[in-house]
Amino acid sequence: MTRTRSTTTFGAAVAALALLAGCAGAPAAAPVSQQEVTAQQVAAPVAVPPVAACENGLLPTASYDPGPGGGSVQAIRDRGALRVGVSADTLLMGSRNPLSGQIEGFDIDMLNAVSTAIFGKPTPLQFRVITSAQRLEVLENHEVDLVARTFTMNCERWETIAFSAEYLTAGQKVLVTRDSEAASIEDLEALGDQRVCAPEGTTTLERLQETYPGVEAVSAPTHTGCLVLFQQGKVEAITGDDTILAGFVAQDPYAKVVGEAFSAEPYGIGVAADQLDLVQFVNGVLDQAKADGSWAASYTTWLGALGAAPAPPVSVYGRVGSP
Amino acid sequence: MTQTIAPNAAPPAAVPTAAPAPVHRTGLRGALSRTPGRLRVAGVVAVIAAAAVGVVGLNAGLAQSQALSDADADTTQLVGIQDVRNDLVIADATATNAFLVGGLEPSEQRARYDEAVASAANGLAQLAGSNAADAELLGQATAGLTTYTGLVEQARANNRQGFPVGAAYLDQASAVLRSDVLPQLDELVQANSDRVDASFDSVGSVPWLLALGILALAALVVVQVWLAGRTHRRLNSGLFWSTVLALAATIAGAFVLGSTAQRAADVRNGPYDETVSVSSAYSLANNAKSMESFTLIKRGSGAAYEEQFVAETTQAAELLARDTVDPALAPLFDDWLAAHAQIRALDDGGDWDGAVALAISDEPNAPNDVFATFSAAAESSLDASAQLTNEGLSGAGGSVVRIGWLMLIVGLLAAVLSWRGISKRVEEYR
Repeated sequence: MTRTRSTTTFGAAVAALALLAGCAGAPAAAPVSQQEVTAQQVAAPVAVPPVAACENGLLPTASYDPGPGGGSVQAIRDRGALRVGVSADTLLMGSRNPLSGQIEGFDIDMLNAVSTAIFGKPTPLQFRVITSAQRLEVLENHEVDLVARTFTMNCERWETIAFSAEYLTAGQKVLVTRDSEAASIEDLEALGDQRVCAPEGTTTLERLQETYPGVEAVSAPTHTGCLVLFQQGKVEAITGDDTILAGFVAQDPYAKVVGEAFSAEPYGIGVAADQLDLVQFVNGVLDQAKADGSWAASYTTWLGALGAAPAPPVSVYGRVGSP
Repeated sequence: MTQTIAPNAAPPAAVPTAAPAPVHRTGLRGALSRTPGRLRVAGVVAVIAAAAVGVVGLNAGLAQSQALSDADADTTQLVGIQDVRNDLVIADATATNAFLVGGLEPSEQRARYDEAVASAANGLAQLAGSNAADAELLGQATAGLTTYTGLVEQARANNRQGFPVGAAYLDQASAVLRSDVLPQLDELVQANSDRVDASFDSVGSVPWLLALGILALAALVVVQVWLAGRTHRRLNSGLFWSTVLALAATIAGAFVLGSTAQRAADVRNGPYDETVSVSSAYSLANNAKSMESFTLIKRGSGAAYEEQFVAETTQAAELLARDTVDPALAPLFDDWLAAHAQIRALDDGGDWDGAVALAISDEPNAPNDVFATFSAAAESSLDASAQLTNEGLSGAGGSVVRIGWLMLIVGLLAAVLSWRGISKRVEEYR
């Protein structure tokens, strides 16, 4: 496992560099041109392969080829609504807007694209708000059709559920107070006695406990629970994906995100393992969104704080048979 | 009690003081072998017996009056604590419901929250002053309340800026209320209700003290029987009237104390039971109302809250079904449960927005309105039954104290009569 992790970290650095390069290369940034996408697609294979392959030889980011959908998709059509598991408190990705009461964010945009494709017209999603720790079980029990909740694709999760193709590459970073001198998690380890928060049931918490024993790992039920602890002075730092931390900085001017990403977190939409036709259908929708600019528009809307929209992550396919 | 035992223990001690009067002959044994000496001993026994009736009566009266005022004070304290508990769950239910609305909370809900918190803070301070034994736990509850209101304000401030972290603060506020405030109050409710029970028990058991008066009466009768045998006169008027007075005092005392005990028992099984039942049920209902809001806020992941809702409302319904409780309350409560079922039906059917719209609606006959109707009925029932309890307990204390003093006076009078009655016989031997 340790070997796998170090390669993952290496991969992350490469991915992060590639991402930065993509950003820097974007001229005026606003309209993501088709050309940039192509450029990134050339660069991507260099960045992605170092992400370690699973025991079955497949990359965790590898999904099933896009397809037209079958029985599972028809069942959703018959039901009249797509049931989705989301976060309601992760600003920018999936959060309830206190002013309008609506759940919105980048994850939600992806789900809306799927819903629109299934029903042929925009159709309200049937939300189920879940914690990070509930993501696998709601799929295994078929309580929802899709889960889009900053869901990192990894080998362990592929054993019980299936993922769509990657739709966003996040990287794990650290959030500290504005006047903190720590610029990385290693700095926090060096300071000693530093409490760092991560949500339960996430890859973030596992990595924190295993790779950084020098800090005290504190868990909270949700990412936002970590922000509460941070604001109350009960933890000195929060670690999480840059996408999520960006949402925290937007809510707290006394927080800042420091350092480079130390892991690559490829986000995929979770699907039950026995609904591969739905996976294929979702992949078709994601490819479409990545190609027609709607992906970039969503990115700019929600994650503009991270920089101009990069090229979308390249879909990797080639998985066959059951996950 | 010590005073009532003392007279009984007194006779052996009193005898030597009575004995030295006829100094001739050889001491105590000699004095007792002669009739005048024996008469004097009989006199002392009669005097002590008669006085004992008075002393026992006064003690019983004072003890019962004390027990009544304890029951009254502890009931008031108990109701006060439950009021505070209700205020807090009302505040929490209001805050969480307002949160569901999104955007600015309606000003009347804000006002209701403020009112409930102010009333709770006020109540906590008063309760701490009225019973020192409760002060420590009340202090903890007050500290918890400060944390709670701070967190709610933080939730509001964040909500007002459109930050979802506000919901997390509200979550934490509710958790603090349920871990740092309500358990302390529940413990106090239990302690006070135990104290009330103990006071009611002693109100009921005090009349049995008068059984000691019956022993004293028996002693008076024995003295007279002995005297009749010794003097060949059927009646000694002093002793006779003394016995009559002591008997009358004991009967009157038994009647007043017994009927007071009965009245207290009626209060305990009537308005007091109603007060405690309705207050607990009301508290449970408000807590369940918070759970209803949380079930919706959690949107699809609130099953645990709904389970708690069911458990708490079931318990509340059992309390409202008690015989002592105003029968008008249960149907109003059931109406609210039916309204809640509508919300659940919408949410479980996938229409979360519809469920929320119903849950926050302030239209007539919407769940909030139905709950308000139940709340108003429960509150007025609580006020009425608490007042009845208070009246039943505070009015009775005066009469038992009066009968106690009356018994003492009569007992002393009887003692004087006894002594005079015996003295006449003793004089015949001079």
